[in-house]
Amino acid sequence: MSTTTPTTTSVLSVLSPAEQEALKAATFQRLHPRVYLERFLAENVRPDGRPAEGWRDVSAHVGSISTADGSALVRLGGTTVVCGVKAEIAEPELDREGEGFLVPNLDLPAMCSPKFKPGPPTEEAQVLSDRLNEVLVSSGMLPLTSLCIHPGKAAWVLYVDATCINYDGNVFDAALIAMVAALKNTQLPKATFDEETGRTTCSRSIKEPLQITRTPVSMSFGIFDSTTLLTDPTSFEEPLLDTTISVVVDSTSGALLSASQLGIDATAAQDMLQTCITAAAQRRHDLRKIV
Amino acid sequence: MAQTGFDRRRINGPEQSHPPTFGTQDEVEGRWIVGQPRKARKPMDIRPIFLQPGLIDQANGSAYVETERTKIACAVYGPRQTKSTAYHEKGKLNVEVKFTPFSCERRRAPMRDAEDRSLAVAIHQALLPAVQVELLPKSTIDIFLTIIEADGIEACVAAGTVAASTALADAGIEMIGLVMSCAAAVVEQETWLDPTEEEARSARGSLVLSCMPALGTVTSVWQSGKLRPEEVLGCMDACQERCSDIHSVVAQALLENA
Repeated sequence: MSTTTPTTTSVLSVLSPAEQEALKAATFQRLHPRVYLERFLAENVRPDGRPAEGWRDVSAHVGSISTADGSALVRLGGTTVVCGVKAEIAEPELDREGEGFLVPNLDLPAMCSPKFKPGPPTEEAQVLSDRLNEVLVSSGMLPLTSLCIHPGKAAWVLYVDATCINYDGNVFDAALIAMVAALKNTQLPKATFDEETGRTTCSRSIKEPLQITRTPVSMSFGIFDSTTLLTDPTSFEEPLLDTTISVVVDSTSGALLSASQLGIDATAAQDMLQTCITAAAQRRHDLRKIV
Repeated sequence: MAQTGFDRRRINGPEQSHPPTFGTQDEVEGRWIVGQPRKARKPMDIRPIFLQPGLIDQANGSAYVETERTKIACAVYGPRQTKSTAYHEKGKLNVEVKFTPFSCERRRAPMRDAEDRSLAVAIHQALLPAVQVELLPKSTIDIFLTIIEADGIEACVAAGTVAASTALADAGIEMIGLVMSCAAAVVEQETWLDPTEEEARSARGSLVLSCMPALGTVTSVWQSGKLRPEEVLGCMDACQERCSDIHSVVAQALLENA
């Protein structure tokens, strides 16, 4: 102990008093995350300065990637997701002759957060990809029949790949906005199927947008300590939450498309879900302008 | 494109799908034809560089680089403890490159080729002489690059090296100098710097040079194709000159971010 104390004080004395306080706070946050968050919430504020029901800023840029048929870059606070759509042609499934394919995947590379390692998709990425697929398919935002080029012979496959660049919580909401914005940005070349040669040829000059009927947007909430409802949780708050609630609505009509609750059922959860749906109905107007 | 295995960890599409084929009658206009001067740029010009250090909050250091259509994000994690229990006197520099599926003309299905691996090796080679790994025993420095959009593989190596070296500096890892990198291609008899994918395709040979302009030393040269020795030396001189320009861009970006 006697040998380490002088070095510690010498390191600290280099820092200004304000920096020393910041270091102490950062150490406390690392060692006691739950108490750290509790103390903030006792003052009715979150560590990033938002109130419990506050959202983070959203922005989207579309069409910046020329190698993709449609693309979008979405920022939700610090969380950054980039999504690109690649269109290919395939033979439709035998039991669904007149339908194309929509294949959404979300990648959480090791780059975006220290909690991921390089290699195959993590459990979190698999779960998120599956939930995104569920929402895109069940909302019927894009009728798969509109992707058919020639029944039983040729149809479009839309690979919707999203990659997280910066992970700061609530990736599901950001990825859904990115995927929907990228699909809205997508233009497919006009394709014709030649019955004699059995080949599909596309035109370089004539391009058409997709026939999108709905624009689903998701809004996520977390319940902390079975009492406090935290809107749009960050990566620091997410591991401390007992329950996560996601509400998906159509941003144009306001129709409720899906509501999911993951985690334990707190005593007041019934009211919480209702509160979330009401809050989501308010929020969709802001997101409609973005998508 | 034949899919060899069904991957349960991803959402899968149909077993076979191929990129759209276009009719021959409507060719892309304005393609470069042999004998014409270089389009859009002078032979010795490189594309403008946009560089932004520190965009990934949780990484120790990060950088985003964009040169027209080439877009690369890079994060540095570390120095952190090496996972294996064996003792290493020197720190380990680990470079991983990942292409997004939509980064190239043809869709890059995950885990289908080894191009990302060869890119990682090239960037690792370029950076290693600069990083003072002897000061970091038992540690690993992880450098992760994600290629959001690629326009020429040579340009990717060059831009990736610049991004990685900026991210290392942003992470405060000790280096003896910033590593800069520039690519060149020889088309017919002319040397073109920073070739795009289309230009690289019509080139006879290409070269990527990485160096530390502050020290005047070269860290790596990667040459491929059929070139005469004097052409190689000419390319290297041109690249080295351009690297000192890039160096001032990087130094400026780092100062502004500090």
